[in-house]
Amino acid sequence: MNVRLWLLLILGLCSLGSAATDPQAVLKAIVDNQRGGSVRATLTLSVTRPDRQTQYVLEVVSDGNQRALSRVKAPAREAGQAFLRVGDNIQIYNPTLKRVLRLPPSGRSDSFLGSDLSYSDLAGRDLEQDFTARISAETADNITLELTPRPQAPTPYGKVVLQARKPGFVPREVLFFDQRGQAVRKISFAQYVEVSGRSFPVQTTVEDLLRPGHRTSVIYSDYQFGVNIPESCFTVRALEAGC
Amino acid sequence: MTLKNASATALSRLAWRNLWRHRRRTLLLVLVVAYATITTVLFWGVQDGFTQSVQIGNARFLSAPALITTPQYFEDPDPEQGLPSLDFLAQVQTQPGVNAAAPRLEFPTLIRSAYTADAARARGVEPLLEARVSNIPTAIAQGRMLEKSGEVVLGRQLAERLDARLGERVVLDTSALAGPQALGLQVVGLVDSGIAPVDRGTVLVHLEDARVLTGLQTATGVALDVTRGQEARIAEALQPVLPQNLRAYDLTQLLGGLSSAIGTKQSSTFFIGMIFSLFAALAVTSTVLVSVLERTREFGMMGAIGMNPHRLAQMITLETVFATSIGWVVGLILGYALNLWMATQNVLGPVFASYGGAFEILGTGSEIYTAQSPVYALYAALTIVLAAFFSILIPARRVQRLNPAEAMRTE
Repeated sequence: MNVRLWLLLILGLCSLGSAATDPQAVLKAIVDNQRGGSVRATLTLSVTRPDRQTQYVLEVVSDGNQRALSRVKAPAREAGQAFLRVGDNIQIYNPTLKRVLRLPPSGRSDSFLGSDLSYSDLAGRDLEQDFTARISAETADNITLELTPRPQAPTPYGKVVLQARKPGFVPREVLFFDQRGQAVRKISFAQYVEVSGRSFPVQTTVEDLLRPGHRTSVIYSDYQFGVNIPESCFTVRALEAGC
Repeated sequence: MTLKNASATALSRLAWRNLWRHRRRTLLLVLVVAYATITTVLFWGVQDGFTQSVQIGNARFLSAPALITTPQYFEDPDPEQGLPSLDFLAQVQTQPGVNAAAPRLEFPTLIRSAYTADAARARGVEPLLEARVSNIPTAIAQGRMLEKSGEVVLGRQLAERLDARLGERVVLDTSALAGPQALGLQVVGLVDSGIAPVDRGTVLVHLEDARVLTGLQTATGVALDVTRGQEARIAEALQPVLPQNLRAYDLTQLLGGLSSAIGTKQSSTFFIGMIFSLFAALAVTSTVLVSVLERTREFGMMGAIGMNPHRLAQMITLETVFATSIGWVVGLILGYALNLWMATQNVLGPVFASYGGAFEILGTGSEIYTAQSPVYALYAALTIVLAAFFSILIPARRVQRLNPAEAMRTE
């Protein structure tokens, strides 16, 4: 192992050590795990409602931060729809119209394919940007962060409670509370894979706690992490023609 | 003095005396005319009261009595078409007829709570100035008006839909010159104006927050409080002091299609008012005609003792005018009294509310009061004019054609 790798390892360990004391650094580590870095994968989205269940299969490429391109492969009637998020800009390709439509900024919080997921859940680092973290509980195996919105932060939630497994700050559950202290939404993570030293959850379940029976699960398969995603994948051309 | 040469005074006295010789018939005539007069006064009071409600709702809540903006923004209300500068503001405030001027920055937004989201049109305002051009600050039923940035005032119905309470935070998303932007703002006031579009759609934010969200550092317009009824004249008078690329629009222009709809409604209302008067006059004429038929023998006698047919016809017309005038005066007293009561009691509000959303889009409030104007007495007088005209046309002409000898034999 050369000197450069040793240095990187030491720096990495230092950052983990400081994360244990700095709630904001813990939050960053959890979000890093949740995003998993750059990825190319197949995603199965199951939307459960009290009277029905719908399943979508999507191909996703993401740089793990602010950019992601998703294309619906199944069911046939939805196939061809594609979604490009670059920062706060979200564009949709409608294969029937053969047109690219720009979503208003509100699109960030819109329901993705009628599921309980929003575009913000799929990409972006809103938790880091909009909240201040505080460690509310910590054991040898777990850490719980309580996130409170920054002044004028664009979030309607009163607080977010985030649970992660130690070591490595692997995300387990995110609980969103309204401003009256009632839990309104829960995101749970399961089935982790190791990706460049990170534990990425390949199964995510989102529950609407105000509407029983409203649940969405997301399962990653055929994933390749840490791959080099070309810049051309995050363009309107890729949105129309694929990446 | 003979009946043949009866003077106008004598003829009037004769007609007046005849009225009270046939009290029941006269009473019927008076009642018909009084009813028509009451209806006419109320009809116009309600009509004008409703129009005023629309105008006040739009001038003081939904829009402004007058607004300075760019023609581009007027055509396409997008913050990107906003004012290039606010340098003209100080000069506008000193112009005659301008009571107050307040910059506004309006933009489309999506407002989110923890439970749901709704589209709205937000208005960025200077809190103290806005209170001088708009009634919204006085319609805040819960909480208070904005004091600083970071706050938002919502219409009560909008807040209910979002399930957002006082003190809670909502998020405003928009996209304009600054690209996609979002801000979390604390709800400090809830507006309950009784005007559905206001209570359903009001989103007041501080001008500074609106500038951060849109990236526009000026405003989209300057709302003016101007002397009521003088909006068009003052807007026109302001034009020379404004920069070349700006225009002052009065309420009529701001109302757009609604204004022409009100104009159309006014003309159709006038037509309906005419029909009221026409039917009342015809009712009077038919009563007079019956009276003439019943009094054929009496008229024959009067002709036989020397009263010429022309004078007889004049007498009939005078009787009609006297009876309708009494009915007019009685109707005016009762009509204006009822109108005054409806101008102080919200009798009409629930009536219009029962029509649901049909009137809401016009910007009327839940309280609608009748208007008062002396001109309604003139409109009602049209009944008398028409009644006199018809009585000359039909009963009086019949009397003129009477043969006294034959008439006297009539049973």
